[in-house]
Amino acid sequence: MEILILFVMVIGLMLIGVPIAISLGFSSIVFLLVFSDSSLASVAQTLFEAFEGHSTLLAIPFFILASSFMSTGGVAQRIIRFSIALVGHFRGGLAIAGVLACMMFAALSGSSPATVVAIGSIVIAAMRQVGYTKEFAAGVIANAGTLGILIPPSIVMVVYAAAVEVSVGRMFLAGVIPGILAGTMLMIGIYVMARIKNMPKGEFKGMGEVVESFLDASWGLLLILIIMIGIYGIPGVTGAIFTPTEAAAVASVYAFLVASFIYRDMGPLKNGGALLSKPYAIVTALWHKDTLHTLRDAGKLIITLMFVIANALLLKHVITDEQIPQKITEWMLSYGFGPVMFLIIVNVILLIGGQFMEPSGLLVIVAPLVFPIAIELGIDPIHLGIIMVVNMEIGMITPPVGLNLFVTAGVANMSMMGVVRAALPFLAIMFVFLILVTYVPWISTVLPNALMGPEIITN
Amino acid sequence: MATSLAGPRSVTDRIEETLIAIILGVMTVMTFANVVARYGFNSNIFYALELTVFLFAWLVLLGASYAVKHTLHLGVDAVVNTMPQATKRVFALITVAVCLAYSLLLLKGAWDYWAPYANLNPTSGHWFPTGFKEVRGQGWYETQDIPVPGFMRWLEDVFNDGDPYEKMPKVVPYVVLPISMALLVWRFLQVGIRVWKGEQDMIIVSHEAEDDVAAAAAKLKDQE
Repeated sequence: MEILILFVMVIGLMLIGVPIAISLGFSSIVFLLVFSDSSLASVAQTLFEAFEGHSTLLAIPFFILASSFMSTGGVAQRIIRFSIALVGHFRGGLAIAGVLACMMFAALSGSSPATVVAIGSIVIAAMRQVGYTKEFAAGVIANAGTLGILIPPSIVMVVYAAAVEVSVGRMFLAGVIPGILAGTMLMIGIYVMARIKNMPKGEFKGMGEVVESFLDASWGLLLILIIMIGIYGIPGVTGAIFTPTEAAAVASVYAFLVASFIYRDMGPLKNGGALLSKPYAIVTALWHKDTLHTLRDAGKLIITLMFVIANALLLKHVITDEQIPQKITEWMLSYGFGPVMFLIIVNVILLIGGQFMEPSGLLVIVAPLVFPIAIELGIDPIHLGIIMVVNMEIGMITPPVGLNLFVTAGVANMSMMGVVRAALPFLAIMFVFLILVTYVPWISTVLPNALMGPEIITN
Repeated sequence: MATSLAGPRSVTDRIEETLIAIILGVMTVMTFANVVARYGFNSNIFYALELTVFLFAWLVLLGASYAVKHTLHLGVDAVVNTMPQATKRVFALITVAVCLAYSLLLLKGAWDYWAPYANLNPTSGHWFPTGFKEVRGQGWYETQDIPVPGFMRWLEDVFNDGDPYEKMPKVVPYVVLPISMALLVWRFLQVGIRVWKGEQDMIIVSHEAEDDVAAAAAKLKDQE
């Protein structure tokens, strides 16, 4: 009963416009003070523990910083050029290239709205120019942009790993096949639509353009390789080289070097000039105003995201103390609900929650609640993580209020309803994908199990 | 959308923003240097991880009040946006009251937690501070790995009766708790006044890329 009050309070406060972090934190504090003898000092300690006790979360600021350096300028443009060179000549090619570009950008950045903004602001305009409708363009980007949180590295996966204490490396690997599968399904869907509606197709510019655009984009794409090889090592040659946190920090430094000295989208060499002619730039770039600007912007994002997560961990503390998952499990088993019913309930909760809330915050609340139940029912923790991520992806594009729909409406200057209608056909594809991922655990678990050995469940 | 109402960037803004950039920069360099030390020089910076974690906490806790000032905190605006102006204002006032209550409660908690490490007295009382209670000081508590730089040796006289510290005492990293919560109270008070005067009716944004969306939309419009 008390627990129902707690959750009603959290949701009620959120809906009247209290920041998510404070809705979570305030409700938890009030609950602890009223129903337990915890002191405020221990609450403050728990808040600090969010950082001190979860070294996994330390990867988040570095992943955000790496993607901020990568988003400073031409990386999105270069990835799009490479995508168009690869698939632009198919019917509906520009739309397919948009999906491919979103997939690649998703691998550099861990956020869905950021992917929509970076790719959408270029691709939607380009699609309009060659004769696609604005609605179709917006629908494609709104959906493909959600891949940002599924394709590793993904901030949401780091949050899940920290919240339920599974390995970040496993989660990243588990996202690879589902991410590629979702992207491929979207691309096939677009191709079929394009054939039926006879949409425009581009021209194949030859292998020269493919190679050249690939080389141009490769400095950016190499970031993924650094992270993946860093975390897993070269199969058969080395073991893991870095922890995920170190891999993210190395990626940040790499992204800074690429943005400042190779692409020269920022920093002292932005307005021309090779490094050789201005060798001092290698030092001055460190405190160049563009560098500080990027650090500051990444810092803002880290602050707001982590403040939500730290407060959500207060709520997690309450949930664990009160043994709420155990109570729910008992209740569910007494009504004879099995794993299938349970997964449907999780699906529904996340689809609704994902519409309103930033995914990381939602995950920190829901994961500790459903995780013990899932283990009890024999669901693989990594599989559960992927299901949750895919659910939130879809929540972001489900009407009436999906977050990605808002972002796309903003980017494309369209009405919300326009984007909703445009996104619907692709939403259907994503739903099929969700069902696949939910009921075929193999898709998620085969890669991590093959590369890292089978999961051992300790609790 | 509710964007920053602070006008041109003030001196405090620049201090705060520079601090954010520096903390994040040092965290990154520290972690990177540790990797280089391990593979390049076969050694490691043994305190790198702990120091980075503390800087991380400092960044987020101190940054929380900056985010209040610039309306950066994430929230749900779907319901509020459909409300008439009068209801919106009432919601905003309740919101500020909740935020103030949150930060005041945590300010008490933060003080109570930190004070013993500084040989000071925590407050008594469950919800509200009702006075100070005598406790034994814990100024001698130290962190795991972080060394004490020479210029901070004065800490020994102040918090440890002149006995030398082997490692950085806990009073230093945890001081961020009371400071950041006090700042949070202060910023919410300022927001409260703005809401009361009718200059602001929302203290949240719905997602982190709101500024970028506006910029992208403007760019697309130009091209059409």
